[in-house]
Amino acid sequence: MSDGLAGALAPRPEPRWATPARGAALPLLLLAAWQAWATTQPDITRAPSPVQVAATFVRLTASGDLPVSLLQSLGRVLGGFAAALVLGIVLGIAMGTSRTVRAAVEPIVESFRPVAPMAVLPIAILWFGTGTPAALSIVGYAAFFPLLLNTVHGVSQVDRTLLQAARTMGVPRLRILRKVVLPASLPSILLGARLALGVAWTAIIAAELAVGAKSGGGGSGGIGAMMFVFYAYSIDLNGIVACMIVIGLVALAIDRLFRGLERRLTPWRH
Amino acid sequence: MEAPGTTDPKLRLKGVAKAFTAPRTLKRTLAVTGVDLAVEAGEFICIVGPSGCGKSTVMNMIAGLDMPSSGTIEINGVPVAGPGADRGVMFQDYALFPWLTVEENIGFGLRNGTPGNGLSRGEVEARVREHVELVQLAGSETKYPHQLSGGMRQRVALARLLANGPDVLLMDEPLGALDAQTRLILQTELLRIWGETAPQAARKTAVFITHDIEEAVFLADRVVVMSRHPGRVRAVIPVDLARPRDEHIRATPRFGQLSEEIWGLIRAEAYEAIA
Ligand SMILES: Nc1ncnc2c1ncn2[C@@H]1O[C@H](COP(=O)(O)OP(=O)(O)O)[C@@H](O)[C@H]1O
Ligand SMILES: [Mg+2]
Repeated sequence: MSDGLAGALAPRPEPRWATPARGAALPLLLLAAWQAWATTQPDITRAPSPVQVAATFVRLTASGDLPVSLLQSLGRVLGGFAAALVLGIVLGIAMGTSRTVRAAVEPIVESFRPVAPMAVLPIAILWFGTGTPAALSIVGYAAFFPLLLNTVHGVSQVDRTLLQAARTMGVPRLRILRKVVLPASLPSILLGARLALGVAWTAIIAAELAVGAKSGGGGSGGIGAMMFVFYAYSIDLNGIVACMIVIGLVALAIDRLFRGLERRLTPWRH
Repeated sequence: MEAPGTTDPKLRLKGVAKAFTAPRTLKRTLAVTGVDLAVEAGEFICIVGPSGCGKSTVMNMIAGLDMPSSGTIEINGVPVAGPGADRGVMFQDYALFPWLTVEENIGFGLRNGTPGNGLSRGEVEARVREHVELVQLAGSETKYPHQLSGGMRQRVALARLLANGPDVLLMDEPLGALDAQTRLILQTELLRIWGETAPQAARKTAVFITHDIEEAVFLADRVVVMSRHPGRVRAVIPVDLARPRDEHIRATPRFGQLSEEIWGLIRAEAYEAIA
């Protein structure tokens, strides 16, 4: 088997670690280069290095500052997201099933949609102060649009013959909504929810940074506010980079978790 | 006009016409007009005609999914006012719910619609089970529609239709998407399920749309031939072939004659339709 032409053409088996090792080579090289650059700089707070970032991360985790801030930010994201979820789905179904509702609501939605969440922040702060309610309203505002638009899209894309089939089986209207319209648009709604969580997480960091600036670094909390403290008070870029990495990893984790949830909730699509 | 005292047919269409108005241009087009037809209980009717002649339009109106622009449709002498589970529909693309398994699709009407009224949970389960077996899908109950072959999907749709226990079976080109061999097998199976071997009183009333003339002759008691522009009933051809029918009947001279006669009625239009 192993000799002759067949042996020559067969792909050579690789050890199990070969692929991950090759994937990790470039990032490790870059990290080394970054560390080398940082050690040539005089001020370690202005020139963050991998070692210092890691040390800061460990310190912040051990002191509980980072976990507490992270949980606070995550809590706000979930709170704002939950509100947007309910509102977006309910209004989305109403708009997707009723032409009258859609015609009435769509112009309003479309005129607010280009207004970035950060542009709403001044109003939120003036109305709700610098605490959690302001953060929640920004997050909710940001998460609302992807949820609404994807729900409307999903509901209006429901296969007409499925609705007709249900009607010919004598299924009452409300039950058709629950048993046909909702499951048929679930993939779209879940896509909207995943996008919404993504923008909600982006928005909360920006909102906490901005609220931190307004409140002078105190009070509001969250990982964004923590970054603001590193920026304005302790002036330590190592802390900021540590936060940035944590924020990125959390965003990735949220996305992965949600994709898993999507697979679980829509098993017929896989 | 029928004589007083005669009982109503199972299904009657009287001067049925349907016009559609295009949403933007507001142009009205007459899809079907002047359709008169009486179908007796236990009869198997096939509707054939070139595509676009209004076969689906007629079926949707019988199902109550669409209202005639003029004329009336009656079931047992009562005008149709909307959809109802007394008339079961099998759609051309099967209309299976992609998020439900085979078993859940078959039981959908029984669990969510009027066919399940008055049935206990156990009775519903038994009836679903019975219909899974009727179409030989035991073992595939937990599969989703996308995991099934075309022939299996068609069986699920048929089982769902029958599990709901309708008096009238409305089928819109249900075998259209299948390969020729599967089609022939399912035609025979369909006749068995419809009740070909039972006395007429025990049979369902069936309205079956097809564009396949031989399929129509094989299945039907009468073939309704429609023509286009606008859709009308061109002729109603009684099929005097003995039941139960099997594959051999296709080779008989009478089968050929009937097919030829129907083809003669729609040949010119069928050529027009592809020109
Ligand atoms: N919802 C609709 N709106 C406008 N025109 C329609 C609609 N449904 C069917 N038609 C028109 O009515 C005619 C008959 O259609 P259909 O009943 O689907 O024919 P068939 O089933 O025989 O192929 C066609 O010309 C079609 O374009
Ligand atoms: Mg059709």
